[in-house]
This record gives sequence, C-alpha cells and structure tokens, in this order.
Amino acid sequence: MKNFDIIIIGAGPNGLSAASYLSKSGKKVLVVEKNEKVGGLALYADSSSSLSKKVIDQLGLKINARKKRTFVTSLNDSFNHTVLEIDENNSIKFNECEASLEDQNSFLKLVKKYNLFAKTLSSFMFNTPPRVKSGNKSDLWQLISMGWKVRKLGKKNMRELLRVIGLNIADDLEDNLTNDNLMGILCNEAVLGSNLGPRSPGSILTLLYSNAINGSIFRNNNLDTEQIISSIEQSCHDRGVEFLKSSEVKKLLINNETVTGIEMNDQNIIESSTIISTLDPKTTYLNLIGADRLDTDLIRRVTNFRSKGNVAKVKIEFKNIIKIKNLDEKYIGSKFIYAPNIKYIEHAFNNNKYNNYSKKPCLEFYIDNKNISANLYYIPYLKNGSHDKKEIESNIQLILNNFIDNNELIKFEIDTPNEMEKKYNTSGGHWHHGDMEIDQLLMIRPFYGSAQYETPINGLYICGAGTHPGGGITGINAINASKQLLKK
Amino acid sequence: MNKNLSYKKPLLETPFHERTLEACYNNDWYRWAGYKIAKEYSSTELEYTSMRNTAGVIDITPMHKYDIKGVQAREFVNKLVTRDVSKIQPNQIMYIIWCNEDGNVIDDGTVFCLKEDHLRIMCAERNLNWFTDTATGFNVKIQDITETIAALAFQGPLSCKILNLLNVTNIENLQPFKFGNYQINKSDVLISRTGFSGDLGYEIWCNPADALNVWDSLFKFNRDYKVLPAGMNSLDMVRIEAGFIQPNADFMSAEQALRPNRMKNPYELGLSWLVNLEKNYFTGKKALKKIKNSKLNKKLVGLDIQGDKPANGSVLYDSNKKEIGIVTAAMWSPTLKSNIAMGYVDSNHMKLGSKVYAEIYHPEELEYKKIWAECEVVKKQFFNNNRKNAIPAYI
Repeated sequence: MKNFDIIIIGAGPNGLSAASYLSKSGKKVLVVEKNEKVGGLALYADSSSSLSKKVIDQLGLKINARKKRTFVTSLNDSFNHTVLEIDENNSIKFNECEASLEDQNSFLKLVKKYNLFAKTLSSFMFNTPPRVKSGNKSDLWQLISMGWKVRKLGKKNMRELLRVIGLNIADDLEDNLTNDNLMGILCNEAVLGSNLGPRSPGSILTLLYSNAINGSIFRNNNLDTEQIISSIEQSCHDRGVEFLKSSEVKKLLINNETVTGIEMNDQNIIESSTIISTLDPKTTYLNLIGADRLDTDLIRRVTNFRSKGNVAKVKIEFKNIIKIKNLDEKYIGSKFIYAPNIKYIEHAFNNNKYNNYSKKPCLEFYIDNKNISANLYYIPYLKNGSHDKKEIESNIQLILNNFIDNNELIKFEIDTPNEMEKKYNTSGGHWHHGDMEIDQLLMIRPFYGSAQYETPINGLYICGAGTHPGGGITGINAINASKQLLKK
Repeated sequence: MNKNLSYKKPLLETPFHERTLEACYNNDWYRWAGYKIAKEYSSTELEYTSMRNTAGVIDITPMHKYDIKGVQAREFVNKLVTRDVSKIQPNQIMYIIWCNEDGNVIDDGTVFCLKEDHLRIMCAERNLNWFTDTATGFNVKIQDITETIAALAFQGPLSCKILNLLNVTNIENLQPFKFGNYQINKSDVLISRTGFSGDLGYEIWCNPADALNVWDSLFKFNRDYKVLPAGMNSLDMVRIEAGFIQPNADFMSAEQALRPNRMKNPYELGLSWLVNLEKNYFTGKKALKKIKNSKLNKKLVGLDIQGDKPANGSVLYDSNKKEIGIVTAAMWSPTLKSNIAMGYVDSNHMKLGSKVYAEIYHPEELEYKKIWAECEVVKKQFFNNNRKNAIPAYI
C-alpha cells in the first residue's frame, strides 16, 4: 500500500470535509469507509440547512440551494391544524390557527427571544472551543469574548438567557402560551433527537443549540443531503483524495502512545503517522484504540458518555397520492409535525425512560406524492434484544389513518437506532453521536481529556459529531479539527 | 430506648470476634471497613513488645480481598499497577501501587498469584469500582471475596518457631513474598510470608469456619512464649519503624482527596522503585513519564529527631525558619531507642543527611512544652532486621 500523510476513518460529511480541506493544504489523504456508499449517518436526513457557509467557502463547494420549505403544519386531533408560513427572513405568519390572537403574539415573541439567544450561542459554535486553564493566551481571549457576547445581550436579556438555559421547555411555554398545538410545535424542535422530554431540564438549551446550528428554529431546510455529500465527495476527487470503500478498520496500530497505522478487517495494514477518526467517541476509544491503552479515568468518561439514540427513520409508501384531511392541498409540501401537546410528548417520553418504544409516538414527516419519510420518536436504542416492528408499524398507522384520506399503506420500512448502529458503526445509534446537553458541549464535548479534537494518543484526532459543535451536518467539526492538526 | 439510636446496623464482627472481644480488656474498638477491630487490647506498649520480641496476632480480616480470574488476569493487573507484574509466578506475591491518570497514588496492596489465570489483590481501602472500570476490555472476572476469608497477621521473631511447633511442615523455608498451602491443627490455611511489621512474620488466610481453631492454635504455647493479640495502635508503631506508608495517613488516596494538590505521586512517596515506565501501558504512565522528568517539589522522607518527644503533627522548618513541610507519622521507638518520624520536606531537603527542624508541642501535665528539635533526613526504613529475609527462617 502507498504511504499517506493522513488516514481518515469514515466518509460521513465530516470525514469528507476533512479530507477535502487537508488535501487542499497539500496532504496526501486516504479515506476509509465501511460501506459502499459515502455519506454515513447523514444519509438519513433528506435535507439540511446546517452546512456552514464557512465550510462551503473553504472547500469551494457548489450546491444549489432549493426553495426553503415555507410551511410548517402541526396536525391536530380535532382537525384544526395549525399552519405556519415562514418567509426567507424567517418571519412567521399564521395561515391557519385556532389559537387566540394573544397567543399568536406571545408565540412570535417567544420565537424572537429564542432566535436572539440562539444567535448569541451561534457565535461560540464555529471555532474550536477554548481550553480552560491551559495558560494559553488565545484560549483566554476566546473565553473572554464568549463572556462578552453574552453580556452584550443587555442586562435584561442576559438575565433571561441565564434563567432559561437550564430550564425545561414545558415551563417556559406554559408561562407564555395557552394553545396546546403551538406548544407542541416548539416542544418537537426542543426534544427531537435528544434524550429529553418536554419537562426534562435542559430542553431549552437543546432548542437553542439546534436553532443556532441550523440558523432557524424550525429547520426549514434548503439543501439536499445527497447533493451536499456528492459535492464534498467531488471536491475530494478533484484534489486527489484516495478512497478505500467497503473496508472496515479493525483497530489502530499504536506504539508508545503514538499511532502508526490502521489494521483492516482483512488483516491488511496501512501505515500513517496521522489518523483522524470520524467515528463516535465510544467506538473510537473502546474499539479502535482499545481500553487497554487508556487511563481508567478516561475509560470512565468514555463509558459514561451518553449516546443512546431514540429516533427511528421511517419510510412509508401509500397506494394513492396522499391527502391530509381538512388541510388545503397547497400545504402538502410542508413539514408536518404530530406532537399535539406537551402531555402527549411527555407520555411518549415516559416509555423511553424504561427502554420501551412509545406506544403513542411523535412524528415529524415530509410528504412526497405517495411517500412519507418520517422521524419517529421515541424508539430507544436497546442494548439487548429488539423492538417489535410490526407493533410500531400499527401504532404509526393508527395515527396516520386519522389524518390521511382513503388510502392504503403498501410499504413500511423502519431503521431503529439499533440498525443505525449496525449500519454506520455508531454506538447507541445516536444522531449526534452523543446527547447535546450542557455537560457534553463546548470544551467538554465529548469529555474532559479529549477536547479540541485531540486524544491522549499522539497523532490521533477525532472529528465526528461527538466533537464540538456536535451533530447536524455542519462540517465545522472537520474544518476545526483539520486546523488543529495542521497547527502541530 | 434502643429504638432511638441513629444507626440500624451495628459494626460487623469478624470470625475472630468471640476471641478478640474476650481479649479486649479496654473495649476500645476501631472501625475498619465496617468491621470492629481492637485498637488496644490492654496495653499498646505490651502488644508492641510482643511483636518485636515474641509474636503478636492481629486480626486483619477487614483487609479487602479481590479475586481476579480469567485468561487475562495478569495482563489486567499489569494495566492496573505501576510495577511490571507480567511475569508473576504461582505462589509469588508482589507489593504494588496503583495510580490515577494524573499519576497520583490511589492505594497500595499486595497481589498474590494463585494460578496463572487467578490472582488476588489485598488492600486496605475499597477498590472494586476502580478495578472493574480498569477491567473494561479485559477478559477477567473480579469479585470481592473479603467476607469469605478470615485473616490474621502473625508477626514477630518467634512466629516461625511457633508455626513450626504447630507442625506446619517446612514453614521455615517459605521465602519472603511467597505463599503456600499449609495446615494448622487440621485446618487448611494459606500462609504468606508478608506483613506490616518489617520483621519476620506471616499472614494466615483461612476459611471463616476455621477461624477460632487457627486463633486458639497460635496461643497454644503461651506458657513458654508469650504471644499476645495486638491492636491497631501497636500495628501503627511497628509499621512506622518499618517505614511502611498508609493511605489517608501518610498520603491521601487520589480517589478520596478533594483537593487536587493533596494527591501524591509515587516519586513523592519515595516509591519510584515500583514504577516501570518501560512496560505496556498502565493507568498514569503518560503522566508519570512527565513527572519523572520534572523537578520534585515534595518528598516523603524519614526523620531522625533530636530528643525523645514524639513529633506528631509537627510542622517542619528549614534553618531560616521557613516552613517546608509536615510530619505525617511519628513515635518514640522503644526498639531503636530513637525519636523517629516520617514527613514531607521540600526539594532542598530531600537528600539523606539534610538538616531540618521540627516544632514539637509536647503536653506535660496540662501544659504544652514547645520544643525546637533538629532532625536529620534518613531512610524511611528505620527498623531492618536480618531475620526478615533469612532462609531458613529463625526457629
């Protein structure tokens, strides 16, 4: 095998971005991917708006943005669906809404508040988080500027931010709104993809964080994931990155706490002094490095890293073109939410706590003619055993039959977190490789001892979604990690 | 009346309790890992004297015992501890310490090799949590077997003789840091030539059902050889003389210290001989490599102190009266006839022969006498008798 400056394990959006960026800086890069197709977990998302502009510019990507989804529809059991229209500037209009005018105004005010806080957070998002107590001047400067950005909100807003940042979303919503449907819409954004219910502390932070990463509170996406992946892959090919697909890495070769190469499942060995793993922290540390090369304290942190996924991806095909009861046809392209009220979501979450799938789950879905592509939660990852998929199917059917006019389901496909784990080597099958909560963010993502994309093993870097700023197809992890690597 | 007591469960009793209770004239108990252990039976000095002149029997049942079984048992222990134990052979014992990721010592203990795939670690503090976390990725099973083994320390110059009189065959040829299976009065026991006294001595490990038989046997020849049960206070005396350190007395266990700068690394404790930086990765290796190459700020040393007043808890000064450290353990040694102590000194006073000063507050009939005593830095091993390692052992 030829010699490579850098080997990247995993060809997800971060792996590809890092490959492209590093080969642009003159490095000879090899990307190793387990599957035949590149893209990784990102292939589960149909669309995204989170790919950072910084990444697009630096990698010189050409992606055609499509029209943003303008409508968000929240389905209601009494068929008084709420439809929001969101324009290019993210301002919201109520097209259909049963809520009182007062409620509508409070809703707009709340969203405005969250947008403001998310904007403050987003300024932390795109740089390598500083190390506390490193003694490094640039780290100190960055810490001060982070503090200053919060202070700049003004006394009243800063107080409000500090008040709500650890709070649960249900409390803040109930203080301000009375309409169940409106509360459900915001709760969905706060808890989807996290291990939280509406009444779990910290659910406001997850809302703000996702808002900051996506640039909008409703994630009304305008980029096609397949297109993002293929354009980054193209830029890799243009720069001479080599690929080794359908090959799985067995373990890293480490000598004297320094990486020397990788060993493949077929016993092949490829040598390199620098390796980037885009796998999740647990897989990287426990499987690739091996616990026998780690300090016990670090092993504790790795095993305590919370990475239990609970969102399943569902693809459904119907016999006829789908129509929603009591909803104008022009709204069929909207993002649909079925999370009718706080109590409903919290009850769905209760099952999750005890490792059961929700009997009455929540849904976020898109309709394309006869097809539905949905995120279904909560379907928790199971350490042992598997869920009864037939039962889950009939649960969804019960919900959808309520809203869909005279139609027949002909195909049902579901990928639970367990399948995601198997397909993409992501322990726990978590979207973001690990919960994005206050103790797993910024300089302590994934955990103490592994911040700034580095590991205790010399020459080994990590840049998966388990690193700052987390998941969501930003590509930022890759760029930050590459910069960190090039500094050495 | 009893209903109002704040505790529900009294301290546990060891299998020897029937005898220790009888012998404990003072009814003075020490709490060790939830067990009741005698601090002083009747007179600490007498118990100490028995250990130095005949033999003393100490109930060490609360010592934590962890069984490690599996094909990777040796590899696991090698990952856990700083010393190279990869070549430990059956019937061999090694003194070990283990550190956290910052290279600070968590605890010390001994590892017994029963079979190649069966090791046993004995230590004073609880460590199951740390061991199981360290075992991640290793094919081993770790089990706390503390309750299933009763243990006695049998220490003193006549210990071998008495075991010999008890027909424990070939005990005199048992080498230090080795163990074997023997019989005492028809009870199967495991005897190791180890101990905390720095003198000839054994530790006897047996089935709890045999505990009283073993205990009684050791006192069988008391008409000629005055063997005494010894309490924790006297054990503390002999261990200071021998220069053995104790977690949470001479250093804070890294798992228990709250303040990071209170933790100590092996170099500071004078245990660098236990650290092998050449072997496979172990917890703390990276940090210890760094520490080894940097300057040591503090070190635990032995002190030979002027006068005869023990320097318990004294602050240490240099000749300019600048504070440089503290005494962690001190005593007047009746055997050595000298005033000894262990304490931390700064980098300028680590060399043997350095002079430091201790400020001793000595209580004399309700008044403190303040003594400014000169101390010489010496080796920690104050008491060192050839008997300890002699083969065959002194009968």
